[in-house]
Order: sequence, then C-alpha cells, then structure tokens
Amino acid sequence: MANIGEYVYPGDVVKNVKSIKGITIIGPGLRQNEENPNTLCISQAGKLCFREPNTYWIEGKRHRYIPKKGDLVLGVVAKKAGDSLKVDIGSAEFAALPMLAFEGATKKQKPDVQVGDVIYARLLSAHREMEPELICVDSYFKAGRLGVLPNDGFLINISLNLTQRLLDIKDPLLPTLGKKFPYEIVLGVNGRMWLNAKQRKDILTLLRCIEAAEAD
Amino acid sequence: MESPQFSCKLGVLSRPDASVIFCEGETVVMAGIYGPIEVKMQKMLIDKASVECNYRPKRGLPGVEDKLYESLIRNICDTALVTSLYPRSAILIALQEMHNSGQLISCAINAACLVCLESGIDMKFMFGAVTCFLTNQEELRLMPPISDSAVKASFVFVLDNVKERILASHTEGSFSMEQYEEAQDLSRKQIKNVFAFFKKTLNSGKEM
Repeated sequence: MANIGEYVYPGDVVKNVKSIKGITIIGPGLRQNEENPNTLCISQAGKLCFREPNTYWIEGKRHRYIPKKGDLVLGVVAKKAGDSLKVDIGSAEFAALPMLAFEGATKKQKPDVQVGDVIYARLLSAHREMEPELICVDSYFKAGRLGVLPNDGFLINISLNLTQRLLDIKDPLLPTLGKKFPYEIVLGVNGRMWLNAKQRKDILTLLRCIEAAEAD
Repeated sequence: MESPQFSCKLGVLSRPDASVIFCEGETVVMAGIYGPIEVKMQKMLIDKASVECNYRPKRGLPGVEDKLYESLIRNICDTALVTSLYPRSAILIALQEMHNSGQLISCAINAACLVCLESGIDMKFMFGAVTCFLTNQEELRLMPPISDSAVKASFVFVLDNVKERILASHTEGSFSMEQYEEAQDLSRKQIKNVFAFFKKTLNSGKEM
C-alpha cells in the first residue's frame, strides 16, 4: 500500500517490512501493527523513508518538540525551585535541571543562574510519563560547550525541520554566512537558535537570512 | 450529482502549532491546534492525552448547540488521535465559524482533521465528514438548498479512511430508515473526494 519515498497518510500500512533477526528500527510517525505482524501503521502525514538494512521513519512537518534522550536543546529558565531549575524547552512540560548538574557545582557553591537565562543542555532522560531531565555536563563531568549562554546573544524560534537542515554538515547556509560575518551560533534540536555577532546590525542581517531560509 | 467544492489555506495563524481555513461549498471554518501542551491538574489523565475542543460561533458566546458540536468533534478527535503517546498532556483544537451555509458541522470536522494532519500529531487514521440534505421533494443532495425551509432533514456522517467505518453520525429533521441508508451510501461516495482533497492539499503544501 505505501512505498518507500512516497508521501503517506495516517491509516496507510507498510507491507513487507525488512528486519534483521526480527528487529526493525522505526522512527517517528510509525507504529507497530498489532493486527498483522511484519507490517507497520503510519500515524503521520509525510514522506516514508528507509535506510538499509532495517530503519524506517517518516519525514513530516512536526511543529511541537517531543523530548528525546540525548538531545542537545536550548531552554530558558522559567522558575527556580530550591536545588532545581525549571527550564522551558518548548515541550509539553518544563524540564528539570538540578543545580548540581553544572561543572564544578557543589552543595555550597552553586552556579549563578537567573530566571530568564538561556541554557544549552543535554537531555538526560526523556520518558513520556515523567518530566524531562536536563544536564549541563558530559560523562567526564566537564561542561564542554554546555551551560549558561552569555546575555548579549539573541534567541529565536525556528521550525524543527530547519534546525535539522542547518545541523546537517553538508548544508551550505551557515558556512556561507560565516564568510561574510563572524558569528557564534547554538542550535537546539527543539527548534531554538541562539546567535551572537560583533554588531547588532550583523545579528539582524543573520536573522533575516535565517527567516528567508525558513520561508523557502 | 453536484457536490460542494473544497478549498483551503494552511498556516494562516502564527501562534498555533498548525492552522487552516477550510471551505466546503460556501461554508468556511478556521481551525488551529496546540499540542501536546501542558495540562491543568484537574484535567490530567495519567495514561493518555486529554483532547479539548473549543468551538466559537461567528458572534456572541457559544450556546447549547455550539457545545454539542464541540463535544461531537472532541469525541471524534479523541478516537482518531493516538492519545496514548502523549500522557499527562493536553491537545487543544480551536475552531472558529467564519460562514455557515448549511454544512457547518461537516466543515468543522474536516477542518479539525486537516489541522491535526498538518500539525504532525500522531493519528490512527484520517477522518472526514459529509453532509447530505433531504429536501421537501424527498430528494437527496449534497449541496444545501437555497432556503432553509426547503430542507426536510440533514445528515452528517463521519467516516475514517481505512475501512470507511462510521465514526459518528448527526441527523436533524424527519426521515425514513431507507432515506437514512440512502444518505449513508451517498456519503460513502462523496467521502472519497474529501480524502482525495486532503491528500492533495498536504502533498502540495509539503514543498519546503
């Protein structure tokens, strides 16, 4: 019924699913079909994609971010609640970020984070029954590039598809812009982008370029 | 048989996750969807998302009739969406009547389906609705008669795209059992056009 590369709709069924030792990896927009094994149900409108040997997913237009474990996201601190921060990452619920999850933080020496600060963090756990949990250190307890971002940057919301496109190393947009203006950029897969350049004027020009890329 | 023309425009509003203006014949409804979003404590369901529908008439506050449409659409969306994927959250569908020339309910349901599809929220199947009119001359038609007084009864059937099962039906006026079945057959023919239109819209709007 549904073939690879075609535009598919909810209710369609993928037949003859390829698997290795009974394992098939399915991405967003697909569900296991309980009535008939070896087939998949489609639950989103989009393009059906397949990668050898056994991975299937749907490339659709999603507008709302659904947290996934390990994602690097940009969030804004919404609340300070004792030893933990509540961070808005654009999902259904605020994510929790413990004060101790910063590099070098101890019970006595807490990081200086204010409500409204922009934070670049990794999702430590994202289970749909629980609130998502963020962390600002890697497995060696080093911050790396994670943590609170400087106050002089600019944060905007962009579509999830555009974020994925910009994160692709082969995408020419960001390197091309870099030749003209030196700038710093942080992309969160939750559809947020933080920008900073030498002048305000440059930031605005860059934002306009990104907006143009969004429309296209 | 003459059937209503469809047209629509996607992404008309900036705030919601997805929005659409849907026209069925002369009837126009605007729809927007937010979801999954944070849910109020008293409405939270621990095993699935709570689906809410907000229907606004063209003017004034929503009355009893509007609340009825609201609950009808809410129930259909609750069935069609895979709510178990988003526990402890809410999905909010807002519908605004723009113009009514008879097919208001079916137009609102179709707008709700299109906005769900557009937002990329998981659905078990697509759904669509068709309105049939029974005139005083005992004639079944898909186009609304010019005057309201010429309508003896009206039927709304909501069907899914997998097995074309009836998800909901809403009737007004008096009619016989045979006429009801006849209207149902007519809707089954017309629903194919509705789904074909949905597919065409999504496929063409997809070009990024």
